[in-house]
Amino acid sequence: MDVEIQINNSPQPVARFVNWAPSACRIRITNPAGSQGQATHNIRLRSVSAASAGAVNFRQGSTGAFATSLTLPVPINGNWVKFQVAGRFGRPSVNLDDVKIEARKGNALVGSVTCTVRIRKNANTLTPGERDRFISAFAQLNNQGAGRFADFRDMHTNVSSPQAHGAPGFLPWHRAYLLDLERELQAIDPSVALHYWRFDQASPNIFTRDFLGVSDNVGAVEFSPNNPLQFWVTDGVQGITRRPFFNTSSAPPGLLTEAQTIALGANYAAFRVMEGNPHGSAHVSFGGSISSIGTAARDPLFFLLHCNVDRLWAKWQKQNGRFDPTTAASFSGSGSNPIGHNLPDTMWPWNGITGGSRPPTAPGGTLAPSATVSAPGLQPRVRQMLDYPGTVAAANRLGFDYDDVPFV
Amino acid sequence: MTTRRKTAKKTKAAKKTTKKATKKSTKKSTKSTKKAAKSRPSARRSPRAALAVATSSKESSPRRIAALQEVPLAVCENDENLNSLLNILRDRNEPIKVRLAALQSIQAASFSVIAFESCRPDYLAALREVVDDPDPELRQRVLGILARENDSYVQQRLLDGLQNPAKALVPPEKALQLLSYDVHAESYSVARDIVDNPPNPDAKREALRILAADPNSAPVFEKLLTDKDESREVRQISAAALQATKPRRFQERARQMLLDKDEYDDIQATALTALTQFGDKEVGQDQELMKQVDKLGKGKSAKVKKTARRFLMRYKA
Repeated sequence: MDVEIQINNSPQPVARFVNWAPSACRIRITNPAGSQGQATHNIRLRSVSAASAGAVNFRQGSTGAFATSLTLPVPINGNWVKFQVAGRFGRPSVNLDDVKIEARKGNALVGSVTCTVRIRKNANTLTPGERDRFISAFAQLNNQGAGRFADFRDMHTNVSSPQAHGAPGFLPWHRAYLLDLERELQAIDPSVALHYWRFDQASPNIFTRDFLGVSDNVGAVEFSPNNPLQFWVTDGVQGITRRPFFNTSSAPPGLLTEAQTIALGANYAAFRVMEGNPHGSAHVSFGGSISSIGTAARDPLFFLLHCNVDRLWAKWQKQNGRFDPTTAASFSGSGSNPIGHNLPDTMWPWNGITGGSRPPTAPGGTLAPSATVSAPGLQPRVRQMLDYPGTVAAANRLGFDYDDVPFV
Repeated sequence: MTTRRKTAKKTKAAKKTTKKATKKSTKKSTKSTKKAAKSRPSARRSPRAALAVATSSKESSPRRIAALQEVPLAVCENDENLNSLLNILRDRNEPIKVRLAALQSIQAASFSVIAFESCRPDYLAALREVVDDPDPELRQRVLGILARENDSYVQQRLLDGLQNPAKALVPPEKALQLLSYDVHAESYSVARDIVDNPPNPDAKREALRILAADPNSAPVFEKLLTDKDESREVRQISAAALQATKPRRFQERARQMLLDKDEYDDIQATALTALTQFGDKEVGQDQELMKQVDKLGKGKSAKVKKTARRFLMRYKA
């Protein structure tokens, strides 16, 4: 007997990625040989992987608790049986396809599929392999200044800045921006997630020649000869300029800690002041391109910094139950904010709207699609950025999670 | 002594003084940073209370710095708040570490664009007032902010300093780096002059970075890349520049370097990284090269071995 298992209800290998949030999956019998008149067989699913690798849990249906294994009655007529898979919190993947889901009838293996628990992690904790794949994907996206990265650089400039800063849409806009970039990185290497620089903690492994580089006394960032970021080009200029005003083996001083940031208040209006400290303060803990809005996106570190800002928002949302846009405290302002900063507004540049109260150009086109989720679509709205794990509705899920923010 | 040599000597002397002063200033601010780190912002004090401490000359510098770190979003609440911070920034009698913290606080506030918009003209005007400040660290930071805003006044001052070191506000390598935020024709011509006659190796490196996107400079990069007497850094930049502007030519040169038994490990690793990341599929059809990379993958140098393995993974797949 043989069974087929599909992750995210897709036969495509590119869809075999899960997060902490549940993914819709299905199983069917493709070869009923040996069934001898039985209408269904009990098939047991379980996750098999090395101790340091990813792991998943299962549940039948879309509610209830997850378990490390699941037994399902599967009909021999080839009809699909639905179930859900979620990454086991604390067990993200380290390598592509490092989790195997085995299907057994009794002791006999009747089918299997590999998958990856793709999670955004603290960049300081990456294995050398994860780090190398991450910077390689970044370098290829940049392609020495000629790649798709140029669009991301052009999205974050002084001209476009009011679309993304200084009003309630700050956090949603950057969430969409990071998601778009992450999906482009995944188009190059699907094993890659966008990782974060936890700026309230020492992160000595990030500021090395093998990762995001070491700044010399002028602020020129140096890389090892193995590091593809040595070929980084933005705005026609080679290299990265970054001069830390702190010892990079420790955290920058004066930034609100994670606990202090989350304690800013249970309403979005109170929490949003984090745009100044720690967000702005983290930017200006360096000299160089990252310290000004118009040039910040020239430095890859910028994306790790913002990923941490987004993680803080995610953690605050989780702690206060602020995923639902219809809950007043989840967002601030009701139609009174500038354009692009109200819940129903579409966001530039993905909406393609130029002129008037929007910037004169809209680089990059629509938001990159995903093989694992359908939200938020090509032209995201502010409200779609709130329920990123799909807690209000599974269809809202954006397809990313953080290593320290559980689903449940 | 030629004018260029005199210029180089003057620049060197200026750089020495600047470095010394920067070191002193950095050392001081590291000490104060440690003190400030001990008192992480409480997030409890009101912005108004924090501003009162920040602007009070009766308070100690560490307390003022800690207070300044709390105020970014309050900066634009009213003109009074902004002006009180700009006054600290401009006041040469204030302790330099407090002035730097005031600058950092306003900079952090500038990330809240809509709220900051009304403050921007006063902020930029105040920055222009301090570009000639005697403190090199403050001068450098302010010039950096204005250069990133493509401020034409600062660009001109930086170019003037490169052409006449007596007028230099920062060392030439820093001036070139700041000009690289908005490269235009005049920067190319100054950068070429610096490459031909560099006042120091860092300035040459920064000039090369500016020229990296200029297709007319490809012959210069090819020459530097193949010159084993050049520094590793210059050859690394040249490899990237040639790969970006003339990828075919780079591939030929990279091949030669990989087949050369006397080539440096670092340069071979850079060539392998470039070919692995950006090379054509044809690279994998070059049997002689594949054989050589195979050999390098079993060699003594750890960095060459690592890149050779990645190269083989890509081209043997």
